[in-house]
Amino acid sequence: MPATRDHPQPALRCRDISVNFGDVTALSEVSADFAPGMIHAVVGQNGAGKTTFARVAAGLIRPDAGEVIVAGNAVRTGNVNDVRQAGVELVHQSFALPPSFTVAEAMEFGASGSGFLYSRRKLEQRWQAHLESLDVKVDDRARVRDLPVEIQQSVEIARALVADAKILILDEPTAVLSPSGIANLFERIEKLKQRGVTIILILHKIREVLSVADTVTVLRGGMRVEGPIDCAGINAGQLAELIIGSAAPREINADDRVALTGAGTVAHAESHSADTTAIPMLEMQSVSTHRDAEGPALEDVSLVIRPHEIVGVAGVEGNGQRSLVRALSALSDLAGGTISFEGTDVTRKPLSGRRAAGLRVIPFERNVEGLSLSSALWENWSVRELLQKSLLALIKPAELRKRCAQALTSWSVVYNDVSQPAGALSGGNAQKVILAREMDDDARLILAAQPTRGLDIGATTFVWQSLRSARERGCGILLISSDLDEIFDICDRVIVVLSGRIVGDFSAPYDIAEVGAAMTGAVR
Amino acid sequence: MDDIIIAILRSGTPLVYVTLAGVIAQRAGVWHLGLEGLMITGACATILGIYLSGSVVLALIVAIAACVVGSILFWFVIEKLKANPIIAGLGLTGLGLGGTALAVQSIFGTQAAVNAPFGLPRLGPAFGSYGVLSVFVLLMPVFVFAMWVLLRRTRFGLKLAACGEHPFAARSVGVNPSAMRLAALMIGGVFCAIGGAELAAGSLQIFAQNMTSGRGFMAFAAVIFGAAHPVGAAFAALFFAVVGAIGIRAQLIFGDNVPHDLLLGLPYIATIFGIWLSTRLRGGNKTAASFGELRDY
Amino acid sequence: MRDRIVPVLRGLIFIVIGLVLCGVIFTIAGYSAPLMFQSIAEGAFLRPRAFEHALRWGLPLFITAVGVGISFRAGYFNIGAQGQFYVGAIFAAFAAEWLNGAPAVLVIPACFAAGMLGGALWAFWPGLLRLKSGTDEVITTLMGNFLAGLLLIYVTSGPLKDPSGSGQQASSRPLDAAYRISDSYGLSPTIVAIALCVGTAMWILVNRTAFGVLAGLAGRNARMIEWQGAQLYRLGLSSFLISGALAGLAGTLEFMGPNGRLASGFLPTHGFTAILIALVANLSVVGTAFVSLFFGGLASAALFMPIMAGLPAAAIDIVNAAIALFITAKSNAIDRLFGSRGRK
Repeated sequence: MPATRDHPQPALRCRDISVNFGDVTALSEVSADFAPGMIHAVVGQNGAGKTTFARVAAGLIRPDAGEVIVAGNAVRTGNVNDVRQAGVELVHQSFALPPSFTVAEAMEFGASGSGFLYSRRKLEQRWQAHLESLDVKVDDRARVRDLPVEIQQSVEIARALVADAKILILDEPTAVLSPSGIANLFERIEKLKQRGVTIILILHKIREVLSVADTVTVLRGGMRVEGPIDCAGINAGQLAELIIGSAAPREINADDRVALTGAGTVAHAESHSADTTAIPMLEMQSVSTHRDAEGPALEDVSLVIRPHEIVGVAGVEGNGQRSLVRALSALSDLAGGTISFEGTDVTRKPLSGRRAAGLRVIPFERNVEGLSLSSALWENWSVRELLQKSLLALIKPAELRKRCAQALTSWSVVYNDVSQPAGALSGGNAQKVILAREMDDDARLILAAQPTRGLDIGATTFVWQSLRSARERGCGILLISSDLDEIFDICDRVIVVLSGRIVGDFSAPYDIAEVGAAMTGAVR
Repeated sequence: MDDIIIAILRSGTPLVYVTLAGVIAQRAGVWHLGLEGLMITGACATILGIYLSGSVVLALIVAIAACVVGSILFWFVIEKLKANPIIAGLGLTGLGLGGTALAVQSIFGTQAAVNAPFGLPRLGPAFGSYGVLSVFVLLMPVFVFAMWVLLRRTRFGLKLAACGEHPFAARSVGVNPSAMRLAALMIGGVFCAIGGAELAAGSLQIFAQNMTSGRGFMAFAAVIFGAAHPVGAAFAALFFAVVGAIGIRAQLIFGDNVPHDLLLGLPYIATIFGIWLSTRLRGGNKTAASFGELRDY
Repeated sequence: MRDRIVPVLRGLIFIVIGLVLCGVIFTIAGYSAPLMFQSIAEGAFLRPRAFEHALRWGLPLFITAVGVGISFRAGYFNIGAQGQFYVGAIFAAFAAEWLNGAPAVLVIPACFAAGMLGGALWAFWPGLLRLKSGTDEVITTLMGNFLAGLLLIYVTSGPLKDPSGSGQQASSRPLDAAYRISDSYGLSPTIVAIALCVGTAMWILVNRTAFGVLAGLAGRNARMIEWQGAQLYRLGLSSFLISGALAGLAGTLEFMGPNGRLASGFLPTHGFTAILIALVANLSVVGTAFVSLFFGGLASAALFMPIMAGLPAAAIDIVNAAIALFITAKSNAIDRLFGSRGRK
């Protein structure tokens, strides 16, 4: 490790850290030394143990074995206060600030010192100065829940820096940002590095690693496979190999490989064009909704999806993706406009009616909206069918269980028993249960919202394959994803949403800079 | 006019104290339906304490100790044994109601009401016709203000709110939600004891079985109505007291023309109305059935 | 199979813990805890004809508890069984009053219909408030219990007052013997048959209809089935109505059977005990039947104890409350003891 040999004392040293959650091994004997004053990247696919690693380092998880040494001193593992005292702070992937707090309160509740009582003015003065010193432009009286994600992240970073942080760990900070937001974040991180803060970035895009980090560490299956090594000494191809490993579940084509690791630009080799004369699977005309707690209002959204077509929705999270899916699923009221499926107006139909017409939804939050984790697999699987019957219709549970078992097997779900709760499955298997339910032969229009979020490489490519074969069968598909590489890889057309409007419509070959500019509303 | 205000303060003050206990628990993320049980425990312990020891101070100490022990038991069951707070709270209430009845029966051998020779100190003649009220009536606004300061103007209050709203955020900065809930429930126990003491010994100096008659639940409703804000919830509690006083007034005015048992129901109806209004204003959730489960993350 | 046994064993362990707590309370209050438990056990299970006594108290509890289970299953914390029980009895009493003199074949079914309607009505408004505006049903149903209690006092001392009453406890005129479905001992073929019908119908509803599966899913995760296009409003409101109607039925049963009249404040802990039964039985219909017998035994012991041992009847309330305190507890330690699969 030539880059670290110059520094005798690593800022953060992890020794043989092992973490088990029940029967699952999340980390196994991971050791890594992080030199001070540098930007370190930790990469790996989903499920590689990156977040667990970050949480162990931040004291949120007590490892079953191993130690954490900060600037030469061992800290008590699993003790946030000790770790924070030593100057380690973690910024979470899904932000961890109470939504009803004002920015100033969010700063204060994690701070220490300076008296027991405060007045509102004292609080605001104290933290406005802190925010300004970090160049975060936000009114500190604003509520956290009202902030756009990029600002929320800046506030979260400012929160982490209320004390004298020497090591700042950011868990997948780029996952929710637009390309320009990522550039801003990296600029901010460079500044912190100049102030002497050691940065550890959990990432999963090789492109980002190579553009910002000094060293990179690769985790796979809970083990450290490489690093920290100097980023100058490795190229994107080698890094992709390390991340995916040789034991990839099945043949992955070159484009998918690039999309999975963010190693370069997706060429979108399979050119595929939908039949523009066919009756559209979905036609939205000037649809508007009302703003609500779940997102901004849609404004004058018109969209056509034809059979044999996958349309991707790109955009920074919270710009109307949820509103769009909810409007199509009849879960929110329209303020105006019409929606039709295959030429039939369904504007006034409830979700059950739309489902009967062939609509299928893979919802955003797999574990909340997609499945009932405490219910049996067969109940989760049969719910769509049961809802097409009358409430008092007699059912035969034994037969439902049998058919469920057949369906799950044909979707290669790994499970013990159809009566086991859905919560006992891994993320990838859980998603396959949803696919088994939603991608049946009668499906016509499929709304897939973040279908691969959090899934490992095997499950991700499985989902992509399923979407592609549904397209072959003639389905129209709307894919919402925050991963531009994924969208570019499998979509025939990409629309960009911003504040509830469609602000861009692109076809392959895609230019990440152009799409990125549309996402933030920058003039191209 | 004075007598109406006195009636309102008499019935409202115990409710406000218990409401404050509910507020601090709610802030920490605990749905506290054990308030009723703690309140009656406080009432019983105060009267028995005065009766047996002859000292108000000692009686209050006993009442506070009993309620704090009850709160710790409640915390242990919902936090360490992960019981459902609503059912466990109802259980705590049942224990309070049954336990106090049993205590009275075992000491006096009868289930009749117990009279104490004297009650909490009164304000005295300096306050004119208000002198019949106990000192805790005067202290009530002070405690409400103190609770407001604690919850809204200290870092402790912020941490407590974080535990209720986003426990993971609290953990991330090294706050232990479990310990914070214990603190909140214990402080709540003190307020329940005062509320119970005021109910039993503030004006009547009597303890009767089931004398709380749902006030603890009403206090919980006041917490929801007041959005767990100390001042708002205190006003909600006073509102329920005002409605109760109106019912009693109406009886005096209309006599037998209105069924008086039904007028007694007015505070309950006001409670239902209050909780409906507050969900209405805040855009209530029509789906989630959280059952008041504690959140760890 | 193990997945079914573990919750039962866990429940039993926590019941034991609850009983230990009771023992502590009894001892503090100056009673002999062993004597107390001995007389409870004797009163509930060991004395002659204990099983029949347990049935007399257990069958109405079973009917209410099955209903409570239906609404809990669907995710609604309807704890207003007591109020629904009272209002059901009140409606039945009014029906009996108005139809007094008509043939029994007419009056008895009419009373049952009225009782179920009354119970359903008392569950309808909290259900409506919950499903239309999200008003928390825990508070509204609790307040409903207090209101129903006042309503009962009002009708027994007003419209339905028995003029020849002694005045100690207000009550209605005794029901004409022709309309009674049991003597005051409280067990008759009619009551057993009604309980069996309710049990069978509810078992089918829960286990063999789309409603049962969907309501269970809605209770565990309402958002998921909303994304499937379910109308939570229908599922939820029908659960409220069924549970209210069954509590009303139990009220009617008590009125037309063992009680034979409406007395203010009768069986004040019926609803709470039914909630406990439903929880101890883990909301299963078959389990509810067995657990009802157990709590029915306890209820009969409450009457037996003051006679037997000079102990207050409140002792049973304390036992029930202590069980309530612990019954929903989960403990990883105990689950591990039985080797149950822990979920992450």
